[in-house]
Amino acid sequence: MRSNIGRWSSIVRNNHAVRCPSSVVRENHAVPRRLSIVRKIEMAFALCAVLACGTVSAQTRSIALKGGKLLTITHGVIENGVVVIEGGKITAVGAVASTKISANAQVIDVTGMTVYPGLIDSETNLGLTEISAENMTNDLVEPSDEIMPHMHTADAFHAESALIPVARINGVTNAIVAPTSTDTLPGQDSFIQLDGKSADEMLIGRDVAMPLNFTGGERRNESWEKRKFPSTRMGLAAQLRQAFIDAQDYEAKLAEYDRKKEAAAKDNKPAPSPVKRDLKLEALLPYLHGKKQIVLAAEGPSDLETAVRLANEFKLKFILNHVSHSQPALDFIAQLKVPVIVGPIYQSPKPEERYDAVYSLPAELAKRGVKIAFATYDAHNARNLPYQAGFASAFGLPYDEALKAITINPAEIWGVADKLGSLDVGKVANVVVANGDPLDVRTDVKHVFIEGNEVPLTSRQTQLRDQYSK
Amino acid sequence: MKVNRFAIHSLRVAVAVWLVALGGWAQTAPTAKSANVVIKNAIVMTVTHGNIKNGSVYVKDGKIAAVGETVNAPSDVPVVDAGGKYVTPGIIDSHSHIALDDDVNEATSPITPHMMMMDAFDYQDKAIYRGLAGGVTTSLLLHGSANMIGGQAVVIKHKYGLGRDAMLFPGAPRSIKFASGENPKRVYGSRDQLPSTRMGNFAVQREALVQAQDYMKEWDNYNAKVQKGDRDATPPKHDLKLEALADILRGKLMVQIHCYRADEFLNEMAMAKEFGYKIRAFHHALEAYKVADKIAAENVGIATFADWWGFKQEAWDAIPWNAVMSMRKGVRVAIKSDSDDFARRLNQEAGKTMRYGGATEEEALKMITLNAAWIVGVDDKVGSIDVGKDADLVIWDGYPLSSYGVPNKVFIDGDVYFDRSLPGFGMPHYQEGQ
Repeated sequence: MRSNIGRWSSIVRNNHAVRCPSSVVRENHAVPRRLSIVRKIEMAFALCAVLACGTVSAQTRSIALKGGKLLTITHGVIENGVVVIEGGKITAVGAVASTKISANAQVIDVTGMTVYPGLIDSETNLGLTEISAENMTNDLVEPSDEIMPHMHTADAFHAESALIPVARINGVTNAIVAPTSTDTLPGQDSFIQLDGKSADEMLIGRDVAMPLNFTGGERRNESWEKRKFPSTRMGLAAQLRQAFIDAQDYEAKLAEYDRKKEAAAKDNKPAPSPVKRDLKLEALLPYLHGKKQIVLAAEGPSDLETAVRLANEFKLKFILNHVSHSQPALDFIAQLKVPVIVGPIYQSPKPEERYDAVYSLPAELAKRGVKIAFATYDAHNARNLPYQAGFASAFGLPYDEALKAITINPAEIWGVADKLGSLDVGKVANVVVANGDPLDVRTDVKHVFIEGNEVPLTSRQTQLRDQYSK
Repeated sequence: MKVNRFAIHSLRVAVAVWLVALGGWAQTAPTAKSANVVIKNAIVMTVTHGNIKNGSVYVKDGKIAAVGETVNAPSDVPVVDAGGKYVTPGIIDSHSHIALDDDVNEATSPITPHMMMMDAFDYQDKAIYRGLAGGVTTSLLLHGSANMIGGQAVVIKHKYGLGRDAMLFPGAPRSIKFASGENPKRVYGSRDQLPSTRMGNFAVQREALVQAQDYMKEWDNYNAKVQKGDRDATPPKHDLKLEALADILRGKLMVQIHCYRADEFLNEMAMAKEFGYKIRAFHHALEAYKVADKIAAENVGIATFADWWGFKQEAWDAIPWNAVMSMRKGVRVAIKSDSDDFARRLNQEAGKTMRYGGATEEEALKMITLNAAWIVGVDDKVGSIDVGKDADLVIWDGYPLSSYGVPNKVFIDGDVYFDRSLPGFGMPHYQEGQ
């Protein structure tokens, strides 16, 4: 399977890419660190020399995480295992006894530790907010209109956000960045890697998907005085239909223009006047063609069925989001055969629901064969992604499924399963080492590797801790 | 399965309506039994004297009568076999706004000490049930943080299904909510009123306390005259608001202050000294780690979040090590919810302190039991598994301070109010439609 998003689809092609040693590169801010991953060995050597990033020999030095319990995700648990990282990739995974570690490898003893792939949060607002209540630090959504497909979260993504290291040092290495759900079509998602010097380095994929929200929360009905269209679900649905019909018409006009232009050229007549570009409608076209996926959000069963009906009318390719109160529609969801980003499971049940109605939803979906992924739908608390998976397992979700729902399942859902989501040879070395069960709140993360670079376990918060611990 | 439950729910409603029509049955909520029970075969986490493996707890008349490896109970007392599971004291949430039907803030004046949360207490709010199902047995329901001096709290036990008065914590002391920082200045500043700055905040607070002093002097003067036999003395006007403020100065109200920033802890403690009242606890207290020694020196507790941060400017320096760093400096620390969501999983929030700063199991558990009980002022009655205390107990599926800890049964005053194994809501004292 080939990555179908962004940087990796076009750039990362070979298995032999190597890179400058992280320690050296980190001290040299002039070096565009990400570049090295795209080069073959000889190119990388040359690049390092040109950019004066230090000794070239260290470049080939591999890292061996030795003695830990490996949660491979795809091929079980390996006790007393070893993961070898080289050139930003995983080059070996196996038992210590049967895995060769090269003599010059940097061996990190992780005996007693747990080793697992970097976690993937399937919806965050990372890079779009800093301090929730301070609006000048927020780029979360454009509420001026409900149909905003031409908003690209990649345009606002703030690579230097202090929130990113906070999430990263708890093992979250990749995430979807989505606008918040005030609009039915609030804009397009990005897929990020939580390490890099600039937005360009961290944005692995731009416009990878588009949310379509149909929860009722998008209505403009906050008071009778401020009420405006669309203030009802009828309004929301009509407006959405019109938007997709407009996009179809726009496309027809473009085709007609091409046809006329060609005919005119043949007849040596002046070209027809071109169709005026419409960014909004243009942004909808890849979704109307099913080339990119819609993230279809609903909470209750009736909204869910309305949203699905609408998506099917336009043959949209979609996955589901939230479905927190769709317990009566679980079989309906299962027969759609699409993945579900579920929750957050901390959402309160409705008054008539049992206390664990939402906690047990992941288990109920998984039981019906639905592929699920977890998301924090947050930025500051994205670090708590694994606890949601752990808690869901206390309500019936098998532990392995819980782990998959923050690793390989999201990797598959976002089209990067050839690069992320498991400890497998050839995958990008996003690897986490912790002193216990990754899904437990008591577990402390000890090492995080992103594309083979060990990320320092520091954040603005650890700096404050250290400053006031003196 | 869920569909069936809705069907059952509808049936129950129908039956209830029919019964009401027959003659007011629904007025009579079930009352709790005076409970005797032995919980055996448990890992008893006492909070005060370690864990007892293979332990038992004997509950007599709703109180803990004995705890140990063996207990002497009459043979007719019902026995609950915990099957080797953990038993903890019921969780105490020292900062909650549930069951107030959105009447959390009387945000029309920055000084409203005469607001009684009791008057807004909505005992039917399902959030009480959801907290109960998360192991919470006691909550301090506080006024919000719009006002410098808000209202007076109500302390409840989560006996969902009982009537209003049966849910009040007997003998709990009175608390009053103060607030500082961004919230009051935002609420009133946005209306071009005082306060719109932290200077304004503290000026408003000081002004109110000065008025209270004057009010007390007026009454003192009057009482002195009466005592001297002056029959013509005119009594001052009884003023609910000033009376409540005077009770702060008289030490009759425990002062619970919403406060984030280090400088504000210092200002609040200075003002408390200036006017001679005690601060019981700083709530949120996200920068406590910066001045923890000073907070500890005044014997002020903190009720804080485990790791919540960044939601506003004054929460920007919040760090998840706050609880343990402050505790190590001698501050009494509680982890609280301030949310009907966190209230359902305070055990996990406490578990985080074991990771961030290395709290021991007992220290972590104390933050949601005994320390929280101290902040509420009921630590002589609840918060640990000790003889003589109320039998508010939780039997847990999984290790309580982990991602996997889920209450199996919750006892309040020795009676089961939540049982995970029961269908529907899992509440022996409540049925939908009641």
